[in-house]
Amino acid sequence: MIEIKVDEDACVGCGLCVKDCPMEVLQLQNGVSYPAHPENCMGCLSCHEICPAQALEHKGAVPSRRMYISMKVCNMLRKVI
Amino acid sequence: MPASYIDEAKKQFKTDLVFKAEDVPPLRCDPPAAELEVTLHGLMQMNGYIIKSLEEIAGRGANAVTYRAGKKFGHEVAKYFEKKDDVEDALRELSYILHGQYSFEPWKPGDRDNYIVEDESGTFIYLVFHDCIVRQTLRRIGEEQGGPFCQTLCGYVVGAVEEITGKRGKLEIIHTGPNACLKKLILK
Repeated sequence: MIEIKVDEDACVGCGLCVKDCPMEVLQLQNGVSYPAHPENCMGCLSCHEICPAQALEHKGAVPSRRMYISMKVCNMLRKVI
Repeated sequence: MPASYIDEAKKQFKTDLVFKAEDVPPLRCDPPAAELEVTLHGLMQMNGYIIKSLEEIAGRGANAVTYRAGKKFGHEVAKYFEKKDDVEDALRELSYILHGQYSFEPWKPGDRDNYIVEDESGTFIYLVFHDCIVRQTLRRIGEEQGGPFCQTLCGYVVGAVEEITGKRGKLEIIHTGPNACLKKLILK
């Protein structure tokens, strides 16, 4: 099962993750996001991507390959960062 | 440009290379895979723009075209594989066929006991697609998921499943995400 952690200090309670999740894994509770049904998470990471505060963390999701990322760009970024 | 110019150019194009049947090298990836990145990305971009242009010109008809293309491809790829009645076995076979292009697994919500659900509308099963070349392509060119290019994958899976099981199928997109997509395979 995928473990979902929400950084309550970072979460702004916008509800975008709640709206985006097709399995209703996340719910808003006291103005912050809360993983109500983590057993239903399939690891699409839509919530992760849509979160403006980057408050979500998923542990145990299958990482898909990212062949779309250009190696040249990555190498350039590594030099800068 | 005079025709003689072409003949002259052909005469000038001489190499000492002679290709013989016995000189065919053993099967290997040459150049190495890492060096194919530029080629892969070029293909991704080209495919992406073809689909984008198709959508601009054909509108919603683009979905039908890409679905049909995917379905033909699926039938073609799976026609030499062993035919199976069992859906789970067929999906395992399909997973093997598609390996390298797509990786998927059956999925069920936490409150369900079985992956395969049978009701009056037919048999259905949820599939989570992890690796997908369609998603890679769309993200490479910054296009939305779930459009005509995703229909190619739907057609591909349906075509292959139909070929293996002999049953008519349909694949619905339930959700698209950056790391995985959820699809519903319906068999009739």
